[in-house]
Parts: sequence; structure tokens; C-alpha cells
Amino acid sequence: MKISANNESIIDQWKEEPAALLGVLHAFHDRDGYLSEAVIRDVASGLKIPLAELYGTITFYHHFSQSPPGQSAPRVCTGPVCCLNGSAQLLNALKDQGATAMACAGRCDDPIPVLKGHHALRGTDNASLEEKATPLPARNPGNIEECIFANIRIPNRAKFEGYRDSGGYLAVDKMLNEMSPSQVLELMTQSKLAGRGGAGFPTGVKWKAVAEAPGNPKSIVCNADEGEPGCFKDRAILDYDPHAVIEGMIIAAYATGAAQGFIYLRYEYPQSFALLEEAIREASEAHYLGDGIGGKEFRFTLHLRRGAGAYICGEEGSLLNSLEGKHPFPRNRPPFPVTHGFNNLPTAVNNVETLAAVPQILAKGPEWYQSLGLNEHAGTKLISLSGDIEKPGNYEIPIGLPLRTLLYDWAGGPKAGRSIQAVTMAGLSGGYLAGDDLEITLDDPCIRSKGSFPGAGGIIVYDDSRNMVEAAHEAMAFFAEESCGKCFPCRIGTERLTERLARDAGPTSITDWNAEVDDIGTTMMATSACGLGMAAPNITKSLAKYFPDQVTKHVQKSP
Amino acid sequence: MSNPLVDMQKPDVIFCIGTNMTECHPVAATGIKKALRRGAKMIVADPRRIALADLADLYLPIRVGSDVALLLAMAHVILREKLYDATFIDERTSGANAFLEHVKDFTPEWAASITEVPAADIEKAAILYAQADKGAIFYTLGITEHICGVDNVQSLCNLALMTGNLGREGTGINPMRGQNNIQGAGDAGAVPSNYPGFQPVTDPAAQSKFEALYGRKIDLEKGITKVTALDQCGKSIRAMLIDGENTLVSDPDRDHCEHALRSLDHLVVIDIFLTETAALADVVLPATAWGETDGVCTNTERRVQRLRAAVTPHGDARPDWWIIAEIGKRLGLSGFEFDSAKSVFNELCELSPIYAGLDWDRIDKGEYQWPVPDKEHPGTPILHQEEFKNGRGLFKVINYRDPAETISDDYPIWLTTGRRLQAYHTRTQTGRAQGIDYLLAEESLEIHPTDAAERNLKDGDWCHLSSPRGSVRVKVKLTDRSPKGTVFTSFGFNNVPINVLTGSGYDPITETAELKVCPVRIDPA
Amino acid sequence: MVSSQSSNITLDGEPVSFSAGETLYEIAKRQETIIPTLCYDPRLEAFGSCRLCMVEVDGIRNPVASCTTKASDGMVVRTTSPAIEKHRKVLLEMVASENPDIAVDPLRGYASQELGTLVDDYRADTGRFKGRQSGQSFQDDDNPFILRDYDRCISCYRCVRVCAEQEGDYAINIRNRGFNTQITTEFSGTLKDSSCTFCGQCVQTCPTGALADKKAMRAENDPGEIKKTRSVCPYCGVGCSVDLLSKDDRLVGVQPAMDGPANQGALCIKGQFAFDFVQHNDRLGSPLIRNEAGELEKTSWEIALDRAADGFREAMKTHGRQSIYGVASGRTPSEADYMMQKFIRAGFGTNQIDNCSRA
Repeated sequence: MKISANNESIIDQWKEEPAALLGVLHAFHDRDGYLSEAVIRDVASGLKIPLAELYGTITFYHHFSQSPPGQSAPRVCTGPVCCLNGSAQLLNALKDQGATAMACAGRCDDPIPVLKGHHALRGTDNASLEEKATPLPARNPGNIEECIFANIRIPNRAKFEGYRDSGGYLAVDKMLNEMSPSQVLELMTQSKLAGRGGAGFPTGVKWKAVAEAPGNPKSIVCNADEGEPGCFKDRAILDYDPHAVIEGMIIAAYATGAAQGFIYLRYEYPQSFALLEEAIREASEAHYLGDGIGGKEFRFTLHLRRGAGAYICGEEGSLLNSLEGKHPFPRNRPPFPVTHGFNNLPTAVNNVETLAAVPQILAKGPEWYQSLGLNEHAGTKLISLSGDIEKPGNYEIPIGLPLRTLLYDWAGGPKAGRSIQAVTMAGLSGGYLAGDDLEITLDDPCIRSKGSFPGAGGIIVYDDSRNMVEAAHEAMAFFAEESCGKCFPCRIGTERLTERLARDAGPTSITDWNAEVDDIGTTMMATSACGLGMAAPNITKSLAKYFPDQVTKHVQKSP
Repeated sequence: MSNPLVDMQKPDVIFCIGTNMTECHPVAATGIKKALRRGAKMIVADPRRIALADLADLYLPIRVGSDVALLLAMAHVILREKLYDATFIDERTSGANAFLEHVKDFTPEWAASITEVPAADIEKAAILYAQADKGAIFYTLGITEHICGVDNVQSLCNLALMTGNLGREGTGINPMRGQNNIQGAGDAGAVPSNYPGFQPVTDPAAQSKFEALYGRKIDLEKGITKVTALDQCGKSIRAMLIDGENTLVSDPDRDHCEHALRSLDHLVVIDIFLTETAALADVVLPATAWGETDGVCTNTERRVQRLRAAVTPHGDARPDWWIIAEIGKRLGLSGFEFDSAKSVFNELCELSPIYAGLDWDRIDKGEYQWPVPDKEHPGTPILHQEEFKNGRGLFKVINYRDPAETISDDYPIWLTTGRRLQAYHTRTQTGRAQGIDYLLAEESLEIHPTDAAERNLKDGDWCHLSSPRGSVRVKVKLTDRSPKGTVFTSFGFNNVPINVLTGSGYDPITETAELKVCPVRIDPA
Repeated sequence: MVSSQSSNITLDGEPVSFSAGETLYEIAKRQETIIPTLCYDPRLEAFGSCRLCMVEVDGIRNPVASCTTKASDGMVVRTTSPAIEKHRKVLLEMVASENPDIAVDPLRGYASQELGTLVDDYRADTGRFKGRQSGQSFQDDDNPFILRDYDRCISCYRCVRVCAEQEGDYAINIRNRGFNTQITTEFSGTLKDSSCTFCGQCVQTCPTGALADKKAMRAENDPGEIKKTRSVCPYCGVGCSVDLLSKDDRLVGVQPAMDGPANQGALCIKGQFAFDFVQHNDRLGSPLIRNEAGELEKTSWEIALDRAADGFREAMKTHGRQSIYGVASGRTPSEADYMMQKFIRAGFGTNQIDNCSRA
């Protein structure tokens, strides 16, 4: 029961910190390369977490090892884009180093990522693996005005000096001198900025609810657990414009009365972690974080926490549970985080992209932001484009841009000699669009009219060489792997659908197969407890809709 | 208990002293764990770092037998910090002035030197308990099995009285009874001082009531206690009827006890097994067991509940009440013609004011907690709600006394005894339940690794454990749950008859033995 | 915060009032409207994982879990509809597809029939949705009390929750995630090596019999029906209500009484598993008296009772009525205690009676 001397200092350093568990586990994971039984016992004692619960929680995360070689063994991305690029062969080539597979690591613009300790290497074979910076987003060919990416290409923007020199923190200065919190709330509501993580909830309304909810301290949580396959936009922001996110959080804190903030960053972005750590240090030194910000009675502390490999932690209830050191199951809603968030107190959970837009909106006004969208749509959206496309990468589009414009005019269309067979929406969660349904505009109403949704803005392109049942199987296997295991329809349904897409189990008659897959999908969509289980059947539903022949061929081929 | 069991989930601050509740009253402990889950704070005072201490916000590792010193100093701090409840003291208590004057002398620093608990922690505990909106005290035999058991209980009462933590939901002073029907035994009058329903035998009115009912003269004097009776065996006491108690193993100073029972002219034991005690009897009468017997028992929160027979009795076993009645009839006594447990219980209800509103059929669902003075009464979950039984709550001026024996060069280690989760008492029952030995196969002496090392003892070694009264052989188990200088074992295993060693002294009022403190010597065996 | 105005919902077309904080499930239960559940135990915080209890609420697109949804004024709720019943049946078929089979002996535990009953009620096709089975039985846990037959586990986590919320032991938790979740102790060991206290609460809340009472299961093949008799635990002073399970006139097990006033369904290892001393070979089956050789020998009740009475009569004659002493028990029913004190007081006119509370 007594904590051993060699573990005591790390535990003591962390145990009074908010959201301590992930911090303390990573400290030991980094020190030893894995979490030994002795360490887990000591952490349980030190943080007063029941041992079985801590053990269970650790096993939930993909990246915490409990034995050597642990952290130093390579983890190879086998996500939906990387597997189009030969990740299976790379994984095989690295087997002698103890390599294991990992789910989409958010580098579909630059495959194939391999994590080794704190290094995020990239390459398509063992020889070419090297550490590289995140690709800088390309400008759009029409020079259409941007919001979030407007300043991202300015050299040195990631550093405090560079950020400040290009207009950074002026929004905060202006706010502190000229605006009351309620004026900030009003302005954000007018701008029609909505959650860019996928839920699309109006940011101003969310902040107002937090401001009005009883209980302190309130928190701002930046959701940087960008886990949706085919999504990598937040990484571009964090790597090239981290202060924009910090500034957005300071504004959110001022508007809501929050005293603390957390950035929950996915494990697979170690470079971003180092950059953010440095940015937070710079902002603290410049007195934009801590006590007496801007010489006012305004205190806001910001804490960076690293996830450990769990897609579900991008769901806000799971994220909050994870921050609190609990088993990262989603929470039942209501109550919502705005009243019962971190430590059951009022909390605004915002996506990186949403927060990064805030300083721009405050500086240039709500009308300016609204005007960036096409037709009746307000603002912009980042799209992560990947797969079988000439110029993959992040693009900031005016909301309402035709998909075809993005694919062909901005991103160069399919590879030579190929045509586009299908695209995904919302990474994988929106399922596939194909045929005539490719003629959409990129806005919520239009995409929803096709039975899909824009989500976090990941689009994966499949050209005519691809087997869509195989793609769907990869996608469903991802959801099965990442299902948290709490609610029955998702836990069982993702597994059963994966088996049927792999022909590991299920009927061999196409009628029965379709009936089973449809029944499972319909019940999952209607009854799952969170978005994962509701969205996963979009894969099978859209597969059946657009590719019935491929499905029939799959079911009827001999085993 | 002054408060019901469900109240255990409700305090803001819980003060557990001398109770190893998670092992001895596990289901009651779940109430406390629920309170903690809700955010309640807990103080645990115990010589051993028991499992409950792991759950505590503040753990006070007191030296065995130093409870009074701790509680005096807590009262001192509460007075000094002006955290007492002046209104409650004014309206509901008497004797406060003398008490408050008295505790001024007993600083935490003074108590620290006796209890070996840091003064700062004593202060913290006092402040935490006194500041509670709802503070509840829980204790068991760690408080009462001392020569100063009554002083200990009184000291706890003083704390509750001065902070007004009585008579409300989630507060109170709550001793946990150790046996399923120990409360019922007292309720039914099986004590030397009271008739059924706590009617004093020294009250002439009660005397004449029972004389009329039982049709003979009954002494106005109290009887002697069992402890005294054992001392008197072969002298003034010549015949004994023991029902369902393994006196020899459970009572202190086993050699003395065995000698006492052997010197009786006539010993009749009623039991379900041939216990060590029954083996000494002239007549052994087989009783029906739990599960074979209809009857009534009263739990620690004064809840009166029905036991029901599920299977036919073993062999020729008979209910205890039937056996005793048959002996009575053979002595020519009248009033022993009962045909069922129901008729016995209903007679008890008729002559006990606290059961007056009850009868066999009314307690079918077990919803009543006594006192239930009449048939309209809903029962009394919380005692002392409006006023105390005798009007006002009485502060008592208490002083600290050393245990009957203290450690010396010859006996340098404190032994304290207790129970374990998987064993019940002398294991006559749990020892005969299949599977229990998987978890608890043998007795052991829990000793701090340093104390063991000083004696060249390794985990699993045998040692001789000796007191001035005798010596037993036991295996040692190294654990830092025992503090340095104090060892622990239970009295559950007949092959480690630990009560050969105990019996250094008795509380002068209750004659409860000081089973919790016994200086010993440990030598490798 | 408490509004004096009455709040109402419409439940299956009928207006029903409710109090603040009540869930739709609780209201329906109060109205005796049966909603199926698997992850629900009324003693635990609602968890919302099995999704069987979902109901339709006007204005909300998807059905909601009634166990976690609190009522609000004006809600229009339907506990059943063709769509809801279809979802429930599909869910049950999915659950059934995880396990080797569904039927288990009721001796396994208090709630062990829940899944089987629902599968029957919904006429769920257990052959549908075949595939990999979840959960793997822990064969190596050799404890004599709790069978860990996780082949039958459906990951409702009632065991984990009852261990934490009701028992406060936190001995078990959930390992891994998704379809690979598995109930586990720390480091996947045996229960003996964990903080498990063998209270058996996990066994009694398990809705499939995956966690089962090994001691009771010894009687699975005994003849006769299971008889339940309400009683009180024979051990400590808490007074937990229990249901004694008997078969063929033998005690075969114990289940906690969920409505027990002192324990509300809780038990500890002793109350749950230490019942079989009643049938131990050491039980005294006939009276014994000490013979001339000084040994105890079997005899009849008549002889033994006469001998017992003679001894007391003799003592009274020789040493006076004060020389007889009675020791009653805190372990016997109150009738025995009452009879003991009556025997001493009515028999000898003294108060020479005590019980074992001083020990």
C-alpha cells in the first residue's frame, strides 16, 4: 500500500493537479516505456483510485503498454487511407521490431505514419521512414477568403513573437479593454459560428449556457482528440497556429467565467504536443494565461493533457470522463456538459477549429464571418481531403462550395486514368456518397438530404479501382475496434456487421444477409447511446444503397 | 444504535473508533462507503491500519487503550475553537460547565504523548467532526472491551452532546452489535439487572409485576454477572445452564474458565454442536439450528424481525425454548406450557413496554424498530429525537487511565484481539461451512516487519506468544497493518486459544474484559 | 426548486403525475407498465447500456432510454410501438448471439433468469446474428463460491456497478473495450487476490447466470423444486434479510432479500455462503449425558431432561437457589432468551442470569 520511493516524486508532482491521471500515467509511461504492475499499484494508492478500476481504465486505451518493449515498439497506422497505401506490408516489414497496428493516426495527407516513442515517423517502407513536419495547407486556387487558414502560412506564426507580429492576441486585448463578457457572448451568437467538430451546435449559445449555469470553477475544454479516420485538420492548426487556439480559449473563458482550461490532445500527435506545450509556456510568460490577464481581475489557467489512443474520447462525455481519470465511457445525456461537465461543473467543450476561428471573428466582426459562406450559409469549414485524389490535404472552404469544385478544381481530381467511384463524408461516420449524389454542395442541409452529414469534415476519395465492400469492412472494423463496449447495440452490432462484411459469419443468402445487416443497422441507429453506434451503420446503409452489385458478389462468392 | 442503519449513508462526517466494520459488520459498512461515495469525510481511529483506515480522510493510529486521552483532547480543541453547539448544550444537556472546565487541561500535545497520534491530527479530527452538519460516531468492541469501556463510551457521548450530533438523521452514537440477537437477549431480560424490556429488577414496581406474573417471590437485588459467576464456580455457583455459548473459547483467560466450568456440580449445555464448552457438560441437549427454527431476533438498530424454519430439524434436535420449558416443567414450575415460539414471543410482548405494540403477526415484514409502546405506534427509528430518556443528556467528567497491564521489559508488545471477515466468533458455524477455509485456513499473528525482524521471525514462522497467564503457539504474518509494537490475532481458532493470554482486567461497571489490550512477549518457536 | 404545481407526462395516452427527478422508467414501473431491461438494478445508478428500456418521446427523433431519462412536464411518452418492439427483439437476438445458450438453472443466482425470460417473452430467434462469442469463462479461478462463467456474460456491468456502488469494494472492473470487454479484477487475477470480499452481490445481480453461486449449484441435480423461505442472517447484529433456498428438505443456498429492511439486498460472505453448518456432520442429533465412565453418551430426551432438572433441583437443595446460574445467548432467538430468564426468575426467584454480550 505504501508508495515506493522511486514512484513517489512523480505521483506527488501530479496528484494535486486537475485532471491528474493521464498526466501521471504518461509520466511513468515515458519514464519506463510501459506501465508496470508496481507503478499501477502506486498510482492507484496515490490518486485514490480503486486498483481494478485503474487497471480496467488503462486497458481501455490503445497505447498504454503494460510490458516491454512497450512505447518503443513501432505502431503502424492501418487506417482506411493508409491501407490503400500499403500499410499491411509496412507493418509486416517492422514485425521484427515488435510492431503493432494502430487505428487511423490522422496523417492521411502524408501516409504512412509510424509512432515510435515520441516520434511520429512517416514513410511507405522501412527505409523511407523519417520524422517530418505537418504539410502546410495549400491556398485555394480561386483566392477565396479564408478565416482559420488566413494567417497560417505566415512564417513563425507558431511562436508567440510571430503570432503577435501578425495580429495575434489583439482580439484578447481589445476584448479585455472594450467588452463585457455578455457582449462577447452576443457577438459570438451573431456570428453564427457553430461547432466544427461535427455536432454543429451554435458556439454562442453553448457559451451562454455555461456562463449562466451555477457552479465553479467552470472549464473550457478544447477537444483536440481528432480521431475520426480521414480527419487531420486540427493538427494543421495546432502545429502552425497554436496561439490562435489558446487565444480562442482565453476569449471563451472570459465570456463564460471559466477559470481553467484543458486541451485534450490525441496521443498520436507528439509533435503537436511539444509545440502546444511551448505555446502555453510562451502565453503564460506573456501573462495571457494565469492570474491577472491583461492587468484585469481575470484568471485562466490552461492545462495540456494527452490522450492514450481511444477514438471514443473525441465524444465529449468520454473525453470528460477520460480527463477526470475515469473509465472513458460516454455519459448519459442530459445533463449536458454546459451544466455538468468536467468534475460535474459547467464546461464548454469546443473543437480546435471552432476555437481557432474565435479570435478572427472577434477581430473582424460577426458580419464578416457570416459573409464568408456561400448563399445563405455562414462561415467556413476545414475539409481534410485524402485517398485517391491528386492533391490530398486540408482546405478551408466557404460553406456551400460544390463538392465537385473542391475535388476537381482545388484538389486536382482523381489520379491519372482513374475516376471517382465514391467519397466518404464525416471521415467514415457519414458513410459513402456516390453516383449522382456526388453533385452536392458542402453544407449541412444538402449533405443531410442525401442521408449523410458533414461531421468534422473528412472526405476520403475512392477511385474506380477500389472494392467498396473491402473498404466498408475496413471502416466497420475500425468502429468495432473503437466501440467502447458500453451500449449493447454498438458493442454487438459493430462486431456482427464487421463479420458479415468479412464473410466470417452470417447468412450466405443475399436476402437473409441484407435483412440481418439492415436490421442490425436500423436498431443501432435508433438505439445506440452515442454517435459512434448511431453513425457506424451509415457505412452498410450507404454500401447497400450505392453498391448492391458489389454486395451481392461479396455474399455469393464461395468462401 | 441511536439511529437506523439506513442513516449510515447520510452523515457528512463519520467518526469510526474501535470498529473494524468492513470485516465485522460488512453490510453496515456498505452504508458508510455509500456516504463516502457521496462525498462524506471520514475519521478512523484504530491501533491497526484496518481496511476502513484506507478509506479514511484522516486516520489516527492510536495506541491500544488510549481512547479517553484522544477524546478528551478532541473535546479540548472543540472548546478552544468554539465549535460546540451552545444551543443544544443549553436546551438538551446538563453538566456541561464542569465538563468544559475539565477538558481545558487536556491539550492535543498532552494526548499526543499518550495516544502516539500527532497533535495536529487530533486537532484536525476534532475540527472536522465538530464542523459537520451531520456528524455520526460508530464504535464496537474496540471501545467497550477495555477496563475503561464505560469511560470510552461516555467520552464519545460527551463529544456528541457538545456538538449537538444526536437525535437527528445522519448523526448519533452508534455501537454495532456483534451477534444477530444480542440486542434481543437484552430486550428479553436475559441480564442480571433487568426484566424483559429493560425494567430494572431493583424497581419494586417491576418486581411485583413479575412476581404476580411468575407466581413467586423474586429478589430485588441484581444477579451477578457472568464474569463474576465464572469466578464463583465451585464456590457460590454450583449449577449452570448455558444456552448456545462457547464460553470456553470466547471468554478471556481460558484456563481459568475451564477450571471454573469443571468445578461445577452440574453443567447443562444446549447447543447445536458439541463445542469445547459442551464437552465439559453433564448434560448436552441438542437444539435446532438457524434455518430449522421459527423465532424472533432484534438487530443492532432495534429492528424486530422473524426467523423462519426452512427445513426439518437435524436428528432429534428441539427448539431452545422447548428444551428450557421442559426442564422448567420437570422442576414443577407452572407457566411453561407453551406450544410454539409464537406463544412465547407474544408473552414477551405482553410484559415488555418496548414491545407492547408488537406481536408475532405484526412483525411479519420486520418494519418495526422498538420502542413500540402501543399498537398504533409506527416504531422508533431514531432515539432521543425530542428528548433523552431521562430528560437531559448528561455530560460526564472522565479521566484517562492506563490499561490494567502496560508493556514492560518482560512483555514489551501490545496484543490486541478481534475478528476476521470470513470467520464468525469461535468458528463453530463458519468453520463448518464449506469453502470458508479457502480464504481463512488458519490463525496467524499479524506483526509489523520490524518487530518480526528483531525477533528473527520470517513470514510463516511459528512463535510463542506469552502473557502472564499463559502461552500459545501461532504462525506469524508480516504486515504493516499492525503498527510497530502492536500485534493482532483473532480468537476464532481452537488450536490457537488466544484467550489463554487475555483477561488482564475488567471494566468495573460492566465487567467487560479488557480483551483489546494484553501485553505479551514473542519468542521464536 | 420544488414546484408546488403538479407536473404531468402522458404515458401511453394516460396523464400521469410525477415528482422532480423521477425517470420515465420509474414512473412506468409505478404505473405497473412493464418495460424490459437487462442492465437495470433498482439499487444502482441507472446506466443506460442495454437500451431495451427505450421509449418514444414526442419531439425527440430517436427513442430514449427510459431508465436514464428524467421526466419533464408535458412529455408525451409511448412505452411500446411496432418500431420499439422490433428494436427490442433485434437487441435480444443480438444479445443471445453472444452466448452459447440462454437457459440456466435458477440456483445460479437471484436474477439469473432475466435474459432467458425476455428471450422467451419476445420469441427472439437465438439463431440469428451468429458470430464470434464475447466473454471467456475464467476456469482457473478456483474459489469455492463464485463461478465466473463469462461465456454467458453480456457486459451489462451490473456486477461491476454493484461491487462499487452497493458494496463499495471496487474489486472488479472492465478490461478492454468493444466486443472484447471482459469483467476483470486488477491484473486479470483471481478474486482471492483482489479486494473481493465474496459478498456474492455480483452473483445475485447477474441477469444471465454468468456469475453464479457455486455452492447452490451443487444442488442443481437434486430432486424437487426450489423452496424459498424468508428469514434473517444468523451472524452479526445487522440483521440482513435472506431467502433460504431449500430443495428436498435441505438448505442448498441463500439469496439476499432485495426488500430486506436492514440490508436492502446486501449480504456479506458469511450471510451469503456460510449457511451449510446447519447440515454439518458434527451437528448434535440426540441428547448426551455423562456416564459413569465420565464420557458423554447418547440418550433419550426423557432421560436427558430428567437428568438436567435433577441437577438443578439438587443444587438448589444443597446450595440454595442463588447457586444456579443461567447463561443465555445472543445467537438464539428471543424466545430462548426469554425462556432462560423466566426459568431462572420463575424457577429460583433470583436474577442469576446473563448473556454473552460481555464476551
